[in-house]
Amino acid sequence: LCRGGLAERLCRLQNRERSAISFWRHQCISDDKIPSDKSGVLIVKILEIFEECTIQVAVCQQLEQSPVTLSPEDAVINAEEPILKVLFTRETAAYLKSRPQDVIHIYPPWQKLLLQNGDVPVIMNTYFSQKVLLSEHSEAREKTYGLTKMLIRKNIISLAQTFRLDDLDDRLHQEPSDNQVAGAPQIRNNGDSKQHPLAVSAVNDSLLEMVESQGAVGWRDVQVRVVIQRVYCLPARERCRSHTQGNKPLCATAVTNSDPPNVRLCLLVQDAYGMFSEVQLQSLSSTDDIEQYCRRWEGKSCCLAGMKILQRTTRGRALGLFSLIDSLWPPVVPLKVPGQSQDSEMMTTNLPPPSFCYILTVQSGEIHVEVDEEEQISNLYQPPAVHGLKEILRIDGCNERCSFWAQVLYLRLQTKHNVPIDQRDILLFVTDSTLQNVVHGIPKVVAVSVTASCVLSMEIREALSAGSRLVFFKDALWGNGRIICVERTVLLLQKPLLCLAAGADLSELTGPVRLDELDSTTQANSVCALRGTVVGVNEGTAFSWPTCDRCGNGKLELCPQDRELLYCNQCSEVVTTPVLKMQLEVFLSCPSRSQSTVKVKVWHEVSVALFVLLTMLLFLQTYEVQSVLGKEVGLLNCYVHSVTSHPNCVALEEIVLL
Amino acid sequence: STLPAVAEELLREIKKAFQESSHVPDDLLLGLKFIFGPSAVPALDLVDQHCVTRVTAPSGRTLYQVLGSSGKLYTCYSSCHFCTCPAFGFSVLQKSESLLCKHILAVYLSQAMGACQELSVSEEQLTNILLAEEEDEG
Repeated sequence: LCRGGLAERLCRLQNRERSAISFWRHQCISDDKIPSDKSGVLIVKILEIFEECTIQVAVCQQLEQSPVTLSPEDAVINAEEPILKVLFTRETAAYLKSRPQDVIHIYPPWQKLLLQNGDVPVIMNTYFSQKVLLSEHSEAREKTYGLTKMLIRKNIISLAQTFRLDDLDDRLHQEPSDNQVAGAPQIRNNGDSKQHPLAVSAVNDSLLEMVESQGAVGWRDVQVRVVIQRVYCLPARERCRSHTQGNKPLCATAVTNSDPPNVRLCLLVQDAYGMFSEVQLQSLSSTDDIEQYCRRWEGKSCCLAGMKILQRTTRGRALGLFSLIDSLWPPVVPLKVPGQSQDSEMMTTNLPPPSFCYILTVQSGEIHVEVDEEEQISNLYQPPAVHGLKEILRIDGCNERCSFWAQVLYLRLQTKHNVPIDQRDILLFVTDSTLQNVVHGIPKVVAVSVTASCVLSMEIREALSAGSRLVFFKDALWGNGRIICVERTVLLLQKPLLCLAAGADLSELTGPVRLDELDSTTQANSVCALRGTVVGVNEGTAFSWPTCDRCGNGKLELCPQDRELLYCNQCSEVVTTPVLKMQLEVFLSCPSRSQSTVKVKVWHEVSVALFVLLTMLLFLQTYEVQSVLGKEVGLLNCYVHSVTSHPNCVALEEIVLL
Repeated sequence: STLPAVAEELLREIKKAFQESSHVPDDLLLGLKFIFGPSAVPALDLVDQHCVTRVTAPSGRTLYQVLGSSGKLYTCYSSCHFCTCPAFGFSVLQKSESLLCKHILAVYLSQAMGACQELSVSEEQLTNILLAEEEDEG
């Protein structure tokens, strides 16, 4: 213990007190009568007893004089006598063995404490207490009571009741900032109920001002009001998964991948002065929410708080971002002019587009994006301009953002096997009514390249491989005669609610889809239709094999139990009616491209009965070449693998449209 | 319940006396002993040695850390009576024998006598302190 400290002092005091107590008790026992000194003695009659922690609390009535002189019949509770709460330590209580109606003499030094809440006075330090025995009647009573054990109620104290050491006055004058709501709402997800507004004072409306005054480190207690122009996902930078799929070639139809994507939800926002900013928000665990966020947030106003600056980027360094910004320029409403009054506004027709943009991100632990979902779409919002594919093909420019609604006909995955599926480029062949309904002059089908940097939701991936779907391509890039989906392009399954439908036809296609016929302009990596006559068969490439009719597995095995049956280990079942796939390369003579040798890999699926299959397997031959020559083939839908001029050859593969 | 109000009043008297005279009278010390029993002397010892630190984060969130006699750091909450020491778990929670443990009492006494050390930390650091307690107990 510290020398001269409080603990040492209390120790000394305590020791002295203990000696005094034991001396006093000893004196009581030996004298067997009430000590003569009566000054300062508190006389109380116990009304009720309960226990709190180890302290015994006795609600008592203070008596004027010792009831020894009174008869038991006179010991009636007089309402005018003051009530006290007398506290006894466990030790004293055990010594006293008090019960209601007992009279206790409490000798000094005892302490009286008056409570703030106006409760009855409390008596403490009651070590020197003695029970007063009344007349011989009470002795008998004492004996009977002494035998029965009394149950004392124990109050459990709540831990929530803390002690406030400040005076009431201090508490009233306390700063309101102490009670300020420190927590701020997270980004909303899936329709939460309306949340509390941020408890900060001023709402700014200039991004530039915020950035310049608050600095890069973080914005404290300030908000900026902006309009959300676009919502999209960006792949996270830290993409270090080395994912190997083994060496098995994956077929073009399987685009799904079960690994969770590593993407961040981002907003492209614009303030009232026309300045843009890209806000990078949280990582998404599932990209399926993207469609929801787009629908609910695009066009709405929101308040940003707790941001920090990630980067200040310029046009030259972020072509993709600026191509998107350019598509939103010029603004559709007049802009505010910095430094001037509210009324003056700037006409925007000749304003040059922005040359720099701040990329903001959230500070960890504090996400402050309050979106007014209930409010109307802002006037500043520019929805994507949806055009028909015909118009897009006519766009004169490079790196133009374009949006369209089209039907996906065929999908092809890039064939690099060491790259995970979700990081591979995808080639889509799409069309719409503007292309299909034209006689000639423009292609009927357009190729759209989807790069790995364009984040696709699982829903989209499944939809693309499952069947012919109408897909909304938002903010794709057009340039050099190609449409590509890159970062900030979003593919959605639902028609956009708001769009400038300038000549766009969002209707479904009626009638079967037609592809361009193979001709001299056909290029590699495109799709076309052809017809011709079989002039040759590449026998070396002809083979057939049975596949499972349930899952399409091409690697069936012979059943170990019955070598006459085929077994599919993916379904873990016997295949009773396998589908026979035949592959053959034929040479065609096509009138539409008569100069070239047209080589088509033809697929054929036939569901055969067991007997026929067995026969085929036994004879190791599928069919006679002679029966095929001279046959007319057409109209086949094909994918063009390659086009070479020397030799003049076109290699194609028959495909099935979605 | 009576005891908490009594304890609170006693502590306020101590604070008032200390503010007026930088001295705590004997009867208040004995009062501490009466109400808090065996925790009183150890708690005062902790105060003498300035073992109590008030930890605050920018949001206004506070907690207290008390350096126990064994050298171990215990965390006491400010919003309710809670301490991570085993005595609290046993005497207060399980047996309801004590109102507080010596650490919480030391926190109050340090508050009353202005003997708290102050420490400002970030939100994250405060959260880590709280989470670390969870891990220890788990």
